[in-house]
Amino acid sequence: MRIQVKARNRAYQFEAAPGEKVLYAGLRAETDLPYECGTGTCGTCKAKLVDGRIVDAWPEASGKKYLKPEQGEFLMCQCSAQTDISVEVSSFVYAMDPGSCRPTPMAGTVHSVRALTHDVTALEVTLDSPCDFDAGQFVLVAAPGLPGMRGYSMVNFERQARRLEFVVKKKPGGGFSDWLFGGNPAGSRIDLLGPLGKATFYPGLAKNILCIAGGSGIAGMMSILSRACQERYFEQFQGHLFFGVRAVRDVFYLEQLSSFRAEFPEKLAITLAFSDEDPPADCAARYPLLRFERGMVHEVAARAMAGKYQNVRAYLAGPPPAVDASIRVLLLEAKLTADNIRYDKFS
Amino acid sequence: MTRKIICKIAEIPANGLKECEGEGGLKLLVANSGKEYFAVQAICPHQDVPLCEGLYDGAVLTCHQHLWQWDIRTGAAMGLAEAPLERYDVTVEGDAIYVGSQGALNVGELFAGVAAPTLALLTALAKSEEYAAGSTLYKPGDPAEDFFVLDSGRVEFQIGRDERTSPAGFMLKKGEVFGWAALLENHPHRIASARVLENSVLLRINGKQALELLESDPASGFIVMRRLSALIARFLAAPGAK
Repeated sequence: MRIQVKARNRAYQFEAAPGEKVLYAGLRAETDLPYECGTGTCGTCKAKLVDGRIVDAWPEASGKKYLKPEQGEFLMCQCSAQTDISVEVSSFVYAMDPGSCRPTPMAGTVHSVRALTHDVTALEVTLDSPCDFDAGQFVLVAAPGLPGMRGYSMVNFERQARRLEFVVKKKPGGGFSDWLFGGNPAGSRIDLLGPLGKATFYPGLAKNILCIAGGSGIAGMMSILSRACQERYFEQFQGHLFFGVRAVRDVFYLEQLSSFRAEFPEKLAITLAFSDEDPPADCAARYPLLRFERGMVHEVAARAMAGKYQNVRAYLAGPPPAVDASIRVLLLEAKLTADNIRYDKFS
Repeated sequence: MTRKIICKIAEIPANGLKECEGEGGLKLLVANSGKEYFAVQAICPHQDVPLCEGLYDGAVLTCHQHLWQWDIRTGAAMGLAEAPLERYDVTVEGDAIYVGSQGALNVGELFAGVAAPTLALLTALAKSEEYAAGSTLYKPGDPAEDFFVLDSGRVEFQIGRDERTSPAGFMLKKGEVFGWAALLENHPHRIASARVLENSVLLRINGKQALELLESDPASGFIVMRRLSALIARFLAAPGAK
């Protein structure tokens, strides 16, 4: 099927496989169509059908509340072309930067599921064929027999990765979460699509980096720190990571964070922020390379970073209220420019 | 220009925002900046997010969804924003704030920041014209004497000739400028065709006369040329040149 996208600045043409969603056919063809969640919730990928027929894989998608269906608007992440189609996107669309990782459909096998806390699990997937992604990106994962896909950030970082590690938080009544926590999913076949996301870190950035993560939002930050450590980025630039959780029973990855810090004790600082309790005294004794503080993660970060915002690029992830609170601090108090504040709202 | 009382001074927090209702139920965002008040469209031009939920420090308005930013005084796009905000005329009488609509020239990004007397002269040059849906404004090779400012409606562009054409974007926001070859040296002819898709109102301005006017106010002329070059770059951006 041939797809034509008319954007504000120019038009693009690309081919879509039968059943392939318009968004992913476009991204595969290096057309940087607008999207954010990729899973039918945010409404960012809306477009208007000008000509041809489409089929909607998920008519109940919550992102449809942002659409005017009577004007032919639809979600590119949920709809595929039944005939050649022409669609209109009301934003400026450019070709992807050369060298960025293009999303493709992938398949893999659940290698292991390992509890990190009482309600957080590390999911490790072995891919059938290797994939490249950028530090900070996410993929969409579909569990066998469950409709729809969910976005998870990669924890690890390597080129031609055979293995992807994710952090999954238990959500009572969430289909994916029930599947993962309920039975023994090891060995299950799963479908993936990615990589996606623009909150990425490249060593060529040449700025100090500030990462503020709440809960499972730490996943993408681990990938960013991994890449930065592999490239010995912190020999030259400062790194600050703030990881916010409720209480000591919610923390994880402390060994791995300690080992990042051990490599670059001068320029890399890592702070855990506990919102609901004072950090127990034995935390600091067991993890002497990490700092432990009481407070909401954006407040702890704001206190520690005051006066240190020169040449800073910030990465944010976690529950939307935590991300919004951090944005407020970084824009209004720290006076960072908007292009130096990166996050993907996909959960 | 119609104007309507839309709120009281006391309703707007110091260096703060309030969403108000204007003419015909139109939603407007009224902002305080020190002793002054400004009014802009209430909804983000990007993804229909209410801007009253955004961040505002008394000078710069930021939409909290994707961090598009604008100068509250002019509505001009800053940082990541790809489109300006439509700005409205504000007058304060006693404790009441009145808001009236602005002409297309005052709204568009090309002329934001131009000195008021120069803008008034440019407005005097502009001829308002109505076009029916389906009419063609110009074709490749036509002389490029005038440029256009969209007041209402929608205009689409095609590059190439005869059967070998391809869509080259469209305009749909009040104040958007096209046909800019009329403002450039050595571009005497159109290189694209422009077709009106919906019944539209356009302001037609003679390029030579506009340039003469800007020459007499070089400070404003400089602003317009800087904005024009940014505008052209946005449409011509090559793959990867984002």
